[in-house]
Amino acid sequence: MTSHTAGHKLHEYPPGDLAIWVFILAELFAFFVLFSAYAFTRLKHLDLFNEMQRTLDSDAGMINTLLLITGSWCVARAVAAIKANHAVASARWLLATIGTGCGFLVVKYFEYGAKFSLGINLDTNLFYTFYIALTMFHAMHVLLGMTILGFVWKKAAQGGYSAHDHHGMETGASYWHMVDLVWIILFPLVYIMR
Amino acid sequence: MSAHFLNVIWVALMVATLMTWFIGKSGQMTANTVIAILLIAAVKGWLIVYDFMALRRVKLLWRGIVLGWLLMTLALILLAYWLGLK
Repeated sequence: MTSHTAGHKLHEYPPGDLAIWVFILAELFAFFVLFSAYAFTRLKHLDLFNEMQRTLDSDAGMINTLLLITGSWCVARAVAAIKANHAVASARWLLATIGTGCGFLVVKYFEYGAKFSLGINLDTNLFYTFYIALTMFHAMHVLLGMTILGFVWKKAAQGGYSAHDHHGMETGASYWHMVDLVWIILFPLVYIMR
Repeated sequence: MSAHFLNVIWVALMVATLMTWFIGKSGQMTANTVIAILLIAAVKGWLIVYDFMALRRVKLLWRGIVLGWLLMTLALILLAYWLGLK
């Protein structure tokens, strides 16, 4: 359903299934609470948070940001390709998106491995409680996004989408963009700002 | 959304990420650097919402909710950091 405003055709609803958008908004609210909790808890423990943040690997955080942004671009290209009826190219872009998700998790694996090998865990201090909880909660979303896109890719590879029927692909793409959007705030908040 | 336009947005987001990382590497945080980092995050988020999520051509209500989330989250973070700098 669309309406016309100032000569532009505006869609009534965002791309994909409306149910995924209810889910996306619920996820955004959850991260809003977590980010606010981090920022205001930090206020009461400034020295601890500033000191502990210097122990994080901001290079890993930067690489993961580049990977998620690239994944978001790939899935946007997949949707653009299917809208042009380029089904094979669309499936390849989806596979590339899943690849960036794998890359993200590999970087996270090494990042966590470095911390856990030093005996760091959820109980180490308040900063690391937030760091581990926030980043693991986000990583779970990356995993879920990859799973959703895995199903979308399977259907795309079987020729299940077309220029006229790609609602399911847009649903998966919207979820993946949400995962990227949340990290856009998480990266500077947890890794950079002191 | 044309492929070329998406490519331009991707490059802009990559450059903005490297800017944030570079600011973080380059020493002491001041109020100005915190504001710069949050502004970069706002622009990145805006580009993702408008051009990757493709909400640019969706009714204001949906755009408003997601952009409102972005701006409110960043504003609260700014407030918390500003209080910390005092």
